[in-house]
Amino acid sequence: MATRALLAVVTASPPRMIQIKASTFSSSLKFQRHITTIGRCFSSDTNPSVLQPPDVSRLAETARISLTPSEIEECGAKIRQVIDWFGQLQQVDVSSVEPAIRAEMEGGNLREDAPETFENRESIRASIPRFDEVYLKVPKVLNKE
Amino acid sequence: MLSTLQPPRSLTLLPFRRFHGSKTIASLASSSPTLDASFVSPPQSQILTTRRSLLSGETTASEIAKSYLSRIRLTEPQLKCFLHVSENVLKEAQEIDQRISRGEEVGPLAGVVIGVKDNICTEGMPSTAASRILEHYRPPFDATAVKKIKEMGGIVVGKTNMDEFGMGSTTEASAFQVTANPWDLTRVPGGSSGGSAAAVAARQCMVSLGSDTGGSVRQPASFCGVVGLKPTYGRVSRFGLMAYASSLDVIGCFGSTVADAGVLLHAVSGYDRFDSTSSKQDVPEFDTQFLSMDSFESKPLKGVRVGLIRETLEEGVDSGVRSATQEAASHLEALGCVVTEVSLPSFSLGLPAYYVIASSESSSNLSRYDGVRYGNQVMADELNKLYECSRGQGFGGEVKMRILMGTYALSAGYYDAYYKRAQQVRTLIRKDFKAALDHNDILISPAAPSAAYKIGEKKDDPLAMYAGDIMTVNVNLAGLPAIVLPCGLVEGGPSGLPVGLQMIGAAFDEEKLLKVGHIFEQTLKGSGFVPPTLPNVA
Repeated sequence: MATRALLAVVTASPPRMIQIKASTFSSSLKFQRHITTIGRCFSSDTNPSVLQPPDVSRLAETARISLTPSEIEECGAKIRQVIDWFGQLQQVDVSSVEPAIRAEMEGGNLREDAPETFENRESIRASIPRFDEVYLKVPKVLNKE
Repeated sequence: MLSTLQPPRSLTLLPFRRFHGSKTIASLASSSPTLDASFVSPPQSQILTTRRSLLSGETTASEIAKSYLSRIRLTEPQLKCFLHVSENVLKEAQEIDQRISRGEEVGPLAGVVIGVKDNICTEGMPSTAASRILEHYRPPFDATAVKKIKEMGGIVVGKTNMDEFGMGSTTEASAFQVTANPWDLTRVPGGSSGGSAAAVAARQCMVSLGSDTGGSVRQPASFCGVVGLKPTYGRVSRFGLMAYASSLDVIGCFGSTVADAGVLLHAVSGYDRFDSTSSKQDVPEFDTQFLSMDSFESKPLKGVRVGLIRETLEEGVDSGVRSATQEAASHLEALGCVVTEVSLPSFSLGLPAYYVIASSESSSNLSRYDGVRYGNQVMADELNKLYECSRGQGFGGEVKMRILMGTYALSAGYYDAYYKRAQQVRTLIRKDFKAALDHNDILISPAAPSAAYKIGEKKDDPLAMYAGDIMTVNVNLAGLPAIVLPCGLVEGGPSGLPVGLQMIGAAFDEEKLLKVGHIFEQTLKGSGFVPPTLPNVA
C-alpha cells in the first residue's frame, strides 16, 4: 500500500479556483493516465488521510458481488485508474457551495400514503424464482452464531 | 459574432454536403437559407404522414406494419438492434384498421411503429435492460410512457438493445449482442440507447424511446444520424424505467425528424402519480411548431439568441466535428439567429462529477437485483452466497465496475470527498448554465467529440470511453432539455458518418428547441440522412 503513504503526506494546498477549464478539458479528453499520486492535492475541507485506494475484494463483499481472482485483478486495475481520475475533483474550491442533489424541481408531488391493490399479482408471482405458497423461498439466513 | 472562430475546415466533409468549398461565414450569413438550387426535399415526419395516409384511406396500418416487419427481417441479421420483436404487431395493426373502417376515432399515434429500449418495462414482453440477471424477465406492468403510447394507438414493435442497465456509450456492453451502426456495420451505434437509435436510422421503426442518464439518447442519435431528444428532468414519468442514476435519468425520444421526436415527447410527457419526480408543469402542444417550409419567412429565426459553448470546440474534438458545428452555427445565423460564443467555466468538471454521481447512485439502485424476487437466481446454501453468486454471474463487467466504484465513493469517510463534492460541482454547473441561458435562448455544441468509432476500439479502456460523454453529461447534471439533430457528415464508412448538433434549452422549454430544431432541419441542404446500407428506403 505504497500509495496510502503518499496520499497521507499530501497536505492541503490553497484551493485553486476552477479556472482550470482549458487545460483540464483537453487533458480530460486525453486522460493523462499516469497522474502521479503526489500531484494530487486536497482542499482543506476534506481529510486526505482518510482517502485510501480501493480494496476491490472488500468492496465486492460490501456490494454482495462474487468476483473471480482474474476479475478482481482486471476490474481492480480499471477501478483504481478511474478513482485516480476522480481525484481531480479535489482541486475544485467548493467550500461555500451548496450541494445539489438533483435538478431544481417543484416539491409537493407526493401521493397519499395509502395502500392500493395491484391487480396483476399472478404475473408478479410468476417472476419469483422460488416460492412456497405466500412466501419467497431463500436459503437459511442464520447459519452460525 | 463568429469572428473568433476558425473558418470552417470543410475538407473533412463529403462533397455533397452543404456549405463546402471556400465560402466564408460572412457570405453564408447573408445568403438566404431557403432559396438555394442545391436544396433537396426536407425530411418528412413519419408520424404525421402515417396519420394522414391512414385517415385518407391511402394505406392501412396492416400494410405499414408488414413493411416494417419485413425490413426488420431483412436488416436485423446484420444490425442486431432488437432483443425482442413483438408477436402482436400485425394483430394490433388490424385492430386499428378495423376501428378506422368502422369510422371510430383512433389515437394520435395510431399505427405508429415504435421501438422501446429494453430498460423500459413492457407488460408481458421481455424487459431485461440487456442484462443476464433479468434474462427472460417479463414485467407485470407497462411503464407509464409505454402505457400512454399504447393508449394513443402506438404499436410497440419490440425491445431495443442497449448497454447493460444503460452503462456504456457503444451498446457493446449488452450481455446479449453487439448492435452495428447502419452507416457502417463495423462501427458502434453509440450508447447506451444504441439499439433505439440504429433502429430508427435503419427505418426498422418510425420512432423509439430511449433513456438518457449522461447522453445515452443524444450521443447515439449523433452516431446514427437521427434526432434524439432529452427532455427536462421531470418532464416524462420514469415509472417503469429501470433506475440507474435517479438524479439524472430521463426517458427520451428518437425520430428521423424533429417533428417525430416532438410528437412522441408530447405523447409521453406529463405528471404521473406513480413518479413523485414527474412535474406538474403544463405540456404545450408541440405540434404547432412544425410549420411547413412554405410558411417560413426569409429569416424565420430572426432575433433568436444562440450561444456557442466555447469549451466544446477546444482541443480533443475531431476537426470534422468542429467544422460541422461551426457550419451549423453559420446556418443558424443565416436563418436570423444571433450567434455568440459563451463560456461555461465549470464545463470540464462535469465529467468526473457525473461519473461519481452515476456510479454512486447505481450502486444503490442496482442493489434490488438480488435474485430473490425476480430475475436469475444462482442457488446457494446460504443467503449472502445466493446474493453474491446471483449478482456475480448476472452482472457484466462494466456494471460490476460501476457498482464497486459507487460503493467506494459512498463508503464511510469518503462520502464528502466524492459524492458530496460532486453534488457541489453540480451546483457550479447549474449556475454556469443558468448564467449562459439568461443571455441566450439556446446553447449549441457538438453532441460528441467524434463521429462513430469502430467496434472494439474503446472497449477495454474505460477512461477513453467516458471521455466521449464530455458534451452531454453536464446537461443531465443541470437537468436541462436538449435535442441532437444531424448537421453534417465527416469522412468514414462507405458514404460518410453523421455528426450531430446539440441544442440545449432552459428547463421545460422543449418548445423552443423543437421550433429551432425543426426550422434548422427543414432548411438544411443536402441529401437527408439515410444510411447507405439500407435497401429500398426512401
